[in-house]
Amino acid sequence: MAARAKRLGLVCLLFLAVAGPSRPGLLGASSQQPGSSKTVQPASARRIVSLVPSLTETLFAIGAGSNVVGVGTFDNFPPEVKALPRVGALIDPDVERILALRPDLVVTYGSQTQLETQLARVNIRTFSYRHGGIREILESLKELGAATGHTQDATALAARITAQLDAIRARVRGLKRPRTLLVLDRQPGALREIYASGGLGFMHDMLEAAGGDNVFADAKSESVQPSTETLIARAPDVIIEVRAEGLIEPSKVAAERNVWSTLASLPAVRTGRIHLLTGSQLVVPGPRVAQGTEMLARALHPDAFK
Amino acid sequence: MLLLAERLAFSYSADQSRLRATSEATRGTRDAAVRDVSLTVARGSITGLLGPNGCGKTTLLKLLAGIITPASGQVLFDGVAIASQPRRAVARRVAVVPQETHPAFDYTALEMVLMGRHPHLDTFQLEGPRDVALAYDALDATGTSHLADRPYMTLSGGEKQRVIIASALAQQPELLLLDEPTASLDLGYQLEIQALLISLNRERDVTMVLATHDLNLAASLCDHLVLMRSGQVLAQGATEDVLTVDAIRQVYGVTADVHRHLTTGHLTVVPLSRS
Amino acid sequence: MAPGTSARRPVHVRLAITVAGFGALTVLMIVLAPLIGSTHISLSRVFDPSIPFADNVDAQVFFVARLPRVLAAALVGAALATAGVVFQAMLRNPLATPFTLGVSAGSSLGAMLAILFGASATLGPLSPVPLASLGGAVLAAAIVYWLATQPGRPISTSVLLLAGVTLNSFFSALILFAQFIADYAQVYRAARWLMGDLDVGSFTPLYGSLPLILAAFAMFAVLPGALNLLTLGPDAAAARGVNVGRVQRMAFISASLATSAAVSLSGPIGFIGIVVPHLVRLLVGGDHRIVLPASALFGASFLIGCDLVARTVLAPVEIPVGVVTAMIGGPFFLWLLVRKG
Repeated sequence: MAARAKRLGLVCLLFLAVAGPSRPGLLGASSQQPGSSKTVQPASARRIVSLVPSLTETLFAIGAGSNVVGVGTFDNFPPEVKALPRVGALIDPDVERILALRPDLVVTYGSQTQLETQLARVNIRTFSYRHGGIREILESLKELGAATGHTQDATALAARITAQLDAIRARVRGLKRPRTLLVLDRQPGALREIYASGGLGFMHDMLEAAGGDNVFADAKSESVQPSTETLIARAPDVIIEVRAEGLIEPSKVAAERNVWSTLASLPAVRTGRIHLLTGSQLVVPGPRVAQGTEMLARALHPDAFK
Repeated sequence: MLLLAERLAFSYSADQSRLRATSEATRGTRDAAVRDVSLTVARGSITGLLGPNGCGKTTLLKLLAGIITPASGQVLFDGVAIASQPRRAVARRVAVVPQETHPAFDYTALEMVLMGRHPHLDTFQLEGPRDVALAYDALDATGTSHLADRPYMTLSGGEKQRVIIASALAQQPELLLLDEPTASLDLGYQLEIQALLISLNRERDVTMVLATHDLNLAASLCDHLVLMRSGQVLAQGATEDVLTVDAIRQVYGVTADVHRHLTTGHLTVVPLSRS
Repeated sequence: MAPGTSARRPVHVRLAITVAGFGALTVLMIVLAPLIGSTHISLSRVFDPSIPFADNVDAQVFFVARLPRVLAAALVGAALATAGVVFQAMLRNPLATPFTLGVSAGSSLGAMLAILFGASATLGPLSPVPLASLGGAVLAAAIVYWLATQPGRPISTSVLLLAGVTLNSFFSALILFAQFIADYAQVYRAARWLMGDLDVGSFTPLYGSLPLILAAFAMFAVLPGALNLLTLGPDAAAARGVNVGRVQRMAFISASLATSAAVSLSGPIGFIGIVVPHLVRLLVGGDHRIVLPASALFGASFLIGCDLVARTVLAPVEIPVGVVTAMIGGPFFLWLLVRKG
């Protein structure tokens, strides 16, 4: 179970990649649908079930953690959630167990329309998860604050994250921005089935804030699957691979970096600027987004952080 | 003696080793398709296997060809046990014409006949001019050389059967085993195949064993008959001696009239009623 | 060349003509395909020895991105097409494919489990996912073989088919279960693996599959004459001197080996194993001594062509090659059938 929990970042990340960027009707927050029975009223929520790891994290960060009574299968941050009941996740939400927890607010993925309809029927409010870039992270953070009666905490947290990001941007301002390949996943031990960040989404935003230019900034999607030929043609100066904790065994890090040596003409390979970074703050679109951004910035501009 | 079968037993269902171990005791059990069958086939003869459906004729032919291995007993071909020889060596001397042949993929008639050359070719050897000449010879002998380029699947039942006989001839066998060669054919084709078999026997000196339901075909073609019932041999010997009113009643449960035909001089069987 | 007219020519002449024709096509594809791609490269720069390889982007594109990929396509195409021929003849079933007997389901399960558990074991040139898929394929083949064979008896093709189809369903159920307990990203990666991918990224992955495919081809070489006879039925084959049990076992083992090696290299690319053999039969007739080598060469050319389409038609975006083989192979096959009828 621990190994599975470690993959939580990957879940969020590829959920984003799979769900696609432009489905506002399905993924938009239900608070924007006036007249619907699941409309979020500005009120406080006393019993919250959250199926979305990044929003579970947010709930704790804005002071609503004590009201969380149930979480999704993949939630493992902050450590407090480990003691909470599990109620399924994206494709297998357990309605019975959710109802048994008598929640007054359920945080759902936007695609869980069936679950949202069921909950609306029994007059339980839902907060529908919306994904996107850093701006959307901050917005849903504030909306979640409003929905749970923690408006002030949420506003303050959003301001704090914004300030942290601005500080990072200030540190790398004026420095040469390396052309960067941000790898989200690939087959272990081989340069196959590579998923890289495209020009949309919070991963791309984090990279740009950290002072790197995404080599796939022109791709209008959150992830791309470049061929070997495209990788050679894009010639990145830096390669950063990000994973949630535990996805790469420490003993394999050197071997996994060495996998890139077959593409000898890449500037990143020739200068050795290949980084394997692990940590859920890198891959979860939640309140730790500034910490993740700082990790990227330190890899891209080590001198700026001395 | 070209072929000698000694006390053959075979079962499709039972454990072969058990059958072998207890063949003495189980002689007479029901699950054996063939049991305690001994027979001899003289060189140059045509032997008919007669008996009702399911009496073990087809199984016995497969045993004689070495396609299946008996649980007990043995088949000697020219004095040597068939089971001790490689399949290829046996197939150079013994050919089989089954009731029907359905290829899963279509070949031309010539290709079908050339497949008869397989036992004469080495693993990586392709058929040469001599093999092709032999194939055409076999097509000529069966009156099918005009069909050489036709896809086998498009041929009529009689044409198919003649092409398969040609394929067996291309094996240059000394012994030809035929399983109801005329069963699915109309009267004209029946006579044609009959004439073909007689000429092959006389001109090429091919020894034959044929299983058939057609008592008149057997009477006119065979000089030797083996009567079977329930996997056992009931009688065997010269056609004149075996094909009797009593034997037909015993084997088929049918009352029949057996007399010598005035024109052909062969025995002729006219079934009258179920007895 | 209809079977009718071609059969008159001696078989060695037809074999020579066919191998020369399909061989020329294959060589042409192997030479031309690496010249085409989403980026422009200059051939004179590719082969300019004065530029160090590490500095020569054009040479890198040619030798790292394109050539291994074209050779992988050739290898996988040849292996799947010939495995299809052998399985169809052995099972006497024109609808059999290299994946009918559970090999692809086994390898998919292996790949799924490797993705699910984040396997990191490697063996020589085989990285974790290919290694696991090879293991799954071999396991599936071994189970089917064990179920369908009895010592000293011909393999029952109906038992083989039933065992294979059942194992396929069973493994598919295990895959579904694995997908259910897996998380979204893993399910997506496994689904992507199932679409097939020839972008091997270097020559190294080829070294893992090449020996196995060559071993399978060596076994194929002794089979075709016997396969012709097997398609008439086991008794007819035995009567013409074929050691049916041995030929069936060799056919099953070699075709399973070729399929396993191909699938571990590229994922299960569909349609090659059924379209190519049938196209070849329509062109050169039914004789397996000609069909088998022709299918190897045409399968190689066909998959190189499909992969060329996959990587160029929407460049820089790539279409999964399995989608292309189905979209090209399906209609073409139907057209040939209609035209023939």
